[in-house]
Amino acid sequence: MAVVDSNGLIADGWARLADDAPVPKGGSVVVSFARLKNEHNSLFSAATKVGVDIPSDVNLGELEPFLPRLGVIVVRFATMRDGRVFSVGRLLRERYGYAADMRAVGPFIPDQAQFLLRCGFTSFEVDDSYPVESFKRSARAYSVWYQRATDRAASVAELRQGALDGSKS
Amino acid sequence: MYIYDKFDHTITRERVAEFSQQVARRLTGELSEDQFRPLRLMNGLYLQLHAYMLRVAIPYGTLSSKQLHMLADIAKKYDRDYAHFTTRQNLQYNWIKLDQVPDLLADLASVEMHANQTSGNCIRNVTADQFAGVAGDEVEDPRIISEIIRQWSTFHPEFLYLPRKFKIAVTGAPKDRAAIQFHDIGLQIVRNDAGEVGYAVYVGGGMGRTPIVGPLIRGFVPKAQILSYLEAILRVYNRYGRRDNIYKARIKILVRETGQAEFTRQVEEEWPLIRDTGVDIPAGEEARIRAFFAPPAYETIAEPVVAFVEAKKKYPAFDRWVSTNVHPHKVKGYGAVTISLKPIGGIPGDASSTQMHAIADLADTYSLSEVRVTHVQNLVLPNVKQADLFAVWQRLGEIGFADANIGLVTDIIACPGLDYCALANARSIPVSQRISERFADLDRQHTVGPLQIKISGCINACGHHHAGHIGILGVDKAGVEFYQITLGGAGDEKASVGTLLGPGFPGDQITDAVERVVNTYLELRSSPTETFIEAYRRVGAAPFKESLYGRR
Repeated sequence: MAVVDSNGLIADGWARLADDAPVPKGGSVVVSFARLKNEHNSLFSAATKVGVDIPSDVNLGELEPFLPRLGVIVVRFATMRDGRVFSVGRLLRERYGYAADMRAVGPFIPDQAQFLLRCGFTSFEVDDSYPVESFKRSARAYSVWYQRATDRAASVAELRQGALDGSKS
Repeated sequence: MYIYDKFDHTITRERVAEFSQQVARRLTGELSEDQFRPLRLMNGLYLQLHAYMLRVAIPYGTLSSKQLHMLADIAKKYDRDYAHFTTRQNLQYNWIKLDQVPDLLADLASVEMHANQTSGNCIRNVTADQFAGVAGDEVEDPRIISEIIRQWSTFHPEFLYLPRKFKIAVTGAPKDRAAIQFHDIGLQIVRNDAGEVGYAVYVGGGMGRTPIVGPLIRGFVPKAQILSYLEAILRVYNRYGRRDNIYKARIKILVRETGQAEFTRQVEEEWPLIRDTGVDIPAGEEARIRAFFAPPAYETIAEPVVAFVEAKKKYPAFDRWVSTNVHPHKVKGYGAVTISLKPIGGIPGDASSTQMHAIADLADTYSLSEVRVTHVQNLVLPNVKQADLFAVWQRLGEIGFADANIGLVTDIIACPGLDYCALANARSIPVSQRISERFADLDRQHTVGPLQIKISGCINACGHHHAGHIGILGVDKAGVEFYQITLGGAGDEKASVGTLLGPGFPGDQITDAVERVVNTYLELRSSPTETFIEAYRRVGAAPFKESLYGRR
């Protein structure tokens, strides 16, 4: 397993903790949502940093109370066509104000990188054989966008109107 | 017409580069066919029975003559010298080689065209009334909002992997020529009591194996907030639409299973939360796009136009063509010509490169260089002076497209069917050809009057059979093609789903069966002005069933 961002490979300090494994003192662990719900008190007091692995059909309201204390949220693609991941990303960022690392995992392909980045994802868990160069190219495939998204890049409409306003003054 | 600026050009160019490298990675094997498939579909590229098919977007069915010339050139250069206009106002090439697609896309981009999102589980090409801007009955030109939606939906990062495909249609007039209630979202441009222009929003219509006439979920959305309202609908659908069963994944099933009231509540709950987040475009942008669709400089012409009236008197065949193929224009002295791509015995929607060039030339000479594509697979010259109609008619006769059959029994919609399509159960094209030949006599067609026959080669209903006055559905029965007949469908403002009459007919009997249905109508209509659909609504299915299956 490797972890990448839009620039390529990054170091990853997160360890995945099985539901039946004891919580280590200190360290950074990612747990299932079920375990987070059941053991959040002991988890947050024992580990240095806590992250959670959620499916794309997660009930975000249930996750909300934990958000300020999470260091990473890993959102799982059920299949490469699992478009719910994109909505979950935007909602966590834009609706719930989640600000720490948000990571995609699962069978997504490099060509989806650009859209995941626009929807607020900051890191990506991939196989060691993953075509990272294609991933990086996808992240830069477009220089402008027609619509606003989580990344707050100005839309083409806003760029146009900015340009028009500028030419008037 | 809308004209690209540097931003549109940049995005289109970057798209060609992106898809070119995706093709290259498929050819090297970096991408598996399973991984490549959604990518190529999002670029309109299908693997059909015999070859790749490429579907080119014609946004809201509007083309310049320059673009039509290019489409003809592409047909000659990369295909077998013809192309096929579809029921979604798009154009398909049927014999494309994968390694040529990047060059083809670059040719399209050179005339501000693309194949973005013409397939795949994303927001597809938005469709609109083919008489946009020239129809006298419209509240506002639907091409303005259609172009705004085209841009908003293009590579929308959140909505490219929806549960299923998603189609939006817009009508600017109370008379619905865009079949909006058979779309995932249908927008009707309306004026509220305060005189403001906005949109009535219909959601969850569709055809396929579960035909549903889409319900109205909101009577008025202000113009400036329509994109956030659409985004709210799409977000609810993307999160909660079914992904476990491809046949239950369209938004119509979500609306039905959730309940219209609860679905609407969810949308209305989401909408205010995203309304002020920059989804809606700045006011100046709407005005910028509107300016592209300002009425052209029409001449002031007094009616009646003497030469036109004389020509109609002198040439009854011309007079008849005018009666079916020329739609009234909002400007005096003009007409909107529908060019029938339904010659007797021909393939509905097909045109050769020679024919496409000829039509583009006609548009340059007589129609302010503009052409439209209709969802009935015909073309329109929207701005022809009445004084020029005779010359247009003559030239169309030379290229074989002067049939005076618009809206009549031989103006048939047919999907590509088993002649091309990997999904089909039965052939559609030969059935439409036989029916067309059976009703070749133009006197008889005009006696029968308005009658829409729509043929699909499988339950996916690309030929819109559910919305046909007479719908024909091809099915496979133990390896033999059978054809079922439905009656009473309609795709206009009185939208309805056709009713299945009974068991299907084998291919060699379907033409006779259709003729019996037509003859039954002729016998029972209350007067020559009572149309087929009016008569059917009055008497119901029983007399037609009896004519096909006898008394039971």
